[in-house]
Amino acid sequence: MLKMENVSKIYRTNLIETHALRKVDLHIGAGEFVSVTGPSGSGKTTFLNLAGLLETFEEGDFYLDGQNVKGLSDNQLSELRNEKIGFIFQSFNLLPELPLFDNVDVPLRYRGFNAKERKERIENALEIVGLSSRMQHLPTQLSGGQQQRVAIARAIAGQPKFLLADEPTGNLDSLMAQQVMELLEKINQQGTTIIMVTHDEQLARRAHRNIQIFDGQVSDLAKDQTDVLIQSE
Amino acid sequence: MFAYNAKLAFKSLNDRPSLTILMVAAIAIGLGLFMTTLTLAHQAGKIPIPHISQQIHLVQLDNREVTADDAENFNEMVDLTYQDTNNLLNLNMAGAEQTLVWNSYGILNVEEQNIQPLRSSIVATNHAFFNMFEVPFLYGKAWDSDADQFAQAVIVLTKKSNDYLFGGTNSVGQQVRLNTQVLTVIGVLDDWFLARKFYDRSYYQAFPDQGLIPSNFAFDNNFPRNARFDCWSTTTNPRKFTNNYLTELKTSECAWITFWAKLPNNTKEDYQTQLGQYIDSQKLLGRFPRKNQYFLTNINEQLSIISSMGGRQQMLGVISYMFFAVCLINAVSILLAKFMRRTKEVSLRRALGAKKRTILQQHLIEVILIGVIGGLFGIAVTYLSLQAMLRVNLYASDYMRTAADLMPYHQMDWEMIMMAFSVSVGCTLLVGLYPIWRICNVSPASQLKAQ
Amino acid sequence: MEFRPILLSIKHNKAIAMLVIIQVAITLTVLSGSLLMTTSTLKEWNLPSGIPHDNIISAVPQFYDLDVDVRQSVVDDLAGIKALPGVINASPVTQRPFDAQGIQKVYLDATNEAQEYDTNIFTGDANFHEVLQLSLIEGRLFRENEIVTGKKDELNATPPIVMVSEDMAKALFPDGDALGKTIWLAKGASPVEIIGIYSNFMNGERLNYFGQSYRTVLQPLVTWQNREDPSYLIRVEDGMAEGLLETVRNQLYQIDGRYINQVEVLTRTQKRMYDGRGSHAIMLLVISIILLLITAFGMAGLVSFLVTQRQKQIGTRRALGATKWDVVRYFMLENGILTSIGILTGLVLSIVFAFVLTEDSGVNILDMSYIFATAFFILLINQLAVYFPAKKAANVEPAIVTRAA
Ligand SMILES: Nc1ncnc2c1ncn2[C@@H]1O[C@H](COP(=O)(O)OP(=O)(O)O)[C@@H](O)[C@H]1O
Ligand SMILES: [Mg+2]
Repeated sequence: MLKMENVSKIYRTNLIETHALRKVDLHIGAGEFVSVTGPSGSGKTTFLNLAGLLETFEEGDFYLDGQNVKGLSDNQLSELRNEKIGFIFQSFNLLPELPLFDNVDVPLRYRGFNAKERKERIENALEIVGLSSRMQHLPTQLSGGQQQRVAIARAIAGQPKFLLADEPTGNLDSLMAQQVMELLEKINQQGTTIIMVTHDEQLARRAHRNIQIFDGQVSDLAKDQTDVLIQSE
Repeated sequence: MFAYNAKLAFKSLNDRPSLTILMVAAIAIGLGLFMTTLTLAHQAGKIPIPHISQQIHLVQLDNREVTADDAENFNEMVDLTYQDTNNLLNLNMAGAEQTLVWNSYGILNVEEQNIQPLRSSIVATNHAFFNMFEVPFLYGKAWDSDADQFAQAVIVLTKKSNDYLFGGTNSVGQQVRLNTQVLTVIGVLDDWFLARKFYDRSYYQAFPDQGLIPSNFAFDNNFPRNARFDCWSTTTNPRKFTNNYLTELKTSECAWITFWAKLPNNTKEDYQTQLGQYIDSQKLLGRFPRKNQYFLTNINEQLSIISSMGGRQQMLGVISYMFFAVCLINAVSILLAKFMRRTKEVSLRRALGAKKRTILQQHLIEVILIGVIGGLFGIAVTYLSLQAMLRVNLYASDYMRTAADLMPYHQMDWEMIMMAFSVSVGCTLLVGLYPIWRICNVSPASQLKAQ
Repeated sequence: MEFRPILLSIKHNKAIAMLVIIQVAITLTVLSGSLLMTTSTLKEWNLPSGIPHDNIISAVPQFYDLDVDVRQSVVDDLAGIKALPGVINASPVTQRPFDAQGIQKVYLDATNEAQEYDTNIFTGDANFHEVLQLSLIEGRLFRENEIVTGKKDELNATPPIVMVSEDMAKALFPDGDALGKTIWLAKGASPVEIIGIYSNFMNGERLNYFGQSYRTVLQPLVTWQNREDPSYLIRVEDGMAEGLLETVRNQLYQIDGRYINQVEVLTRTQKRMYDGRGSHAIMLLVISIILLLITAFGMAGLVSFLVTQRQKQIGTRRALGATKWDVVRYFMLENGILTSIGILTGLVLSIVFAFVLTEDSGVNILDMSYIFATAFFILLINQLAVYFPAKKAANVEPAIVTRAA
């Protein structure tokens, strides 16, 4: 589970202060699939960055999997990211020099698994995203959808509790977006909590629950609506 | 288009100035050391009296005993004996001028008590020396053949010793003492810069003698003979001839006198014939036991044989080449990295319609600019490092030489400056080719694909 | 260790990798070559002189008027010099420390096949040891009446006794029983007896070069010949040497018909003995240091540039759980691999270069320990040059991955 209490994030540049998040209170339970929507510049990415421990915050408390992450050292945060969180980015962020196999390998190396275990996990993850046959290809040799699937494989290879996705389909056409979404749902069914930022209403609705952010403020109103949707299915 | 590309190139150099400074500094310093050794070699390799150096020949006759080793060049051959020197001088060689040179030393002093005596190296020679080598005179003139014949007590001072002994005034007709002998100053030399002191075969840089006197006068007064005596093995301890045993030396087969002949244009063959004949005539007298052999080596030939013998300077040369290579590689790896970062931008420009040529031009301008700036700073570095070398050499000479003496050997001339410039631009271009080639071959599409 | 991803990344940037490798290889070659040359030239450099050279003046006068009575002038000179305030003692000599000319030989027997020992033969009167402040190790000193004085080719007999330095005694008689033994100063010369052994002092450049800096023989002899008059070694009180130079020169100048070739403190003579080699070696060292700086700065510049290029990559790694140290280590390892390959290539080049230099100079300068030390040093410098930019790069906010396009 993930719990934020009164969390605020302010960006200070020398000219202005931007209140990117204002007093966010939020609870996301284990196994949930949450979509985050909102207008551009409203603070979605900021929220995801905080949730994913990519950025630190000034006020409030944040419990990840029961542990208060406030005041943890940089190294401890790295360790938590590595163990508990998988990331999927809009622009994929694969390492261009490395073949797929080695791209998926990156977080596993930091995890300190032995070679055998890494190999198993990599093959398994690539199997799940359906790219086992292209293990030795370089990212540039793949289409956008395929690249994103590699990114997903990389995110799940360490079997994290949380999967954070920032507009994972933003650079993809609708067919590929569908495939990626199906993949995410499949992963969610196996117990991984997923938080996905998206512009796409359609996709957002497929989540268990929808969080909306306006001007740094979270409105969790949509919860009932999502429940209704789930029930109606 | 050129203006636009030039602007882009400047902008790129300005983009990360610290990297540009690194590249320029690497090239400048590498070039500096490279040009320093090149300049030293260039100046050291300069030929004295270049306009007549090909006519001035060292004359050596092979009077050695049968058991002596074969000689390949002048450096392995002995000089002349006293007898042969005299005989050759007395031969009538049409068109050829001849002179002899040997070194002596003594104390030059004047009546004036508060001028302390000057320890001097002295050249013993004949009147032809001055005309043959086109020696410049400040005051007076050379002595004439009578002075040689009658061993007159005359001396030609160099400018420096005249400055020291007579305060730079016209001392012609004044008297100086060489040790205890009184001589009359007959001439004073003007500055006479020789890239190498060739005439006594020392090839020293900047070690001037203080005075010149007639050889016969030097013999008559038994001035020390500062020479290497190549004698037959029957002569024990040839060094004894330095101060004594002049009569024995004069009739011996000991070779020790440097002998020069100036052979303009077509006189060389004639001269050779005469030398051959002379050796034959001597053979009849029982001398010259080996085959009829002589060496006529002009100044250029001598210097090329000597300079091929290497040493420390050469070692420094090799190191400076490698040093420059490292600096160039250093610069080019930064350049390559810089260019490679621009692939995205370049492929965008290409997609927007830029021709390969334009991209090439833009990057060529950048590389040439780096070469030019590196060259400019490199020349400054060369200047500084030559100055440093000068100090080092002054220190190493224990301040027996002056900065002014050494300056000509540590100086860039226009030739060297142009050279530095072209080396800098040329080498930068050469190593810059690969990065340029890489960037020019970026395909318009490659980088637009999402990554 | 994450060799595989690093190797893959190197493969991806072959050209730059090659350049780094070549640069390291040549740098190693030049550096180790210079270092070998330097150490071989400086091998016997600045050894202890064994004498208080700062307080000894050497004066070299020379008569050009050959009618002067040298014998009397030596007596007068010595009396005059010793009377100068600040002068402790003086001795007439033919060779001076740091300045011994050439190499002389001594022999252990009179036969033609006698083994020869290189040395420098010094001469002096009974004050010699006091001027140089030599200590007597064994035997006795020369007595006044044993000093032979005269023009060289008019001497009836050379002195039948000598003293030798500690090192010379050891070289001639390794068993340590040199005292009282007989040696020959030339083939066919009359034998001389070793009556004393004194502490070592520096002879001159030639023997120093062969590592025999302290081999000397001392004869109780004051001689001269045409144009080679005795020089004087003068010991003065502490710190007075420089100030006395002019006084000594003027004192010697009192006698007419001679030229004062040189009056200097032995410190300068010592400098002159080493300065040719020293300046050459120091020049090489300076060049080496500059080269090292260029390589280090170039490497730092290159890496700091490359890491800014890879900011996104670093951010991605950080997001995936890499600690800052992981990032730094990655770059250091990458550089370490390239540098090591460069070093391996450079080792081969260095050995070849050292061989060429050895051929050239005739002295075997190849010493692997120096080459290895240089290699290690380059590795260290390069790692440092990478460490700082890499550490800076590791501070990239991991959030960059969600921000940058
Ligand atoms: N590093 C930053 N420095 C300053 N302001 C920032 C920074 N990152 C984001 N912001 C500002 O914070 C607000 C929220 O941004 P973001 O979370 O990226 O929005 P979204 O992802 O919803 O489009 C925006 O106004 C944005 O300009
Ligand atoms: Mg966003």
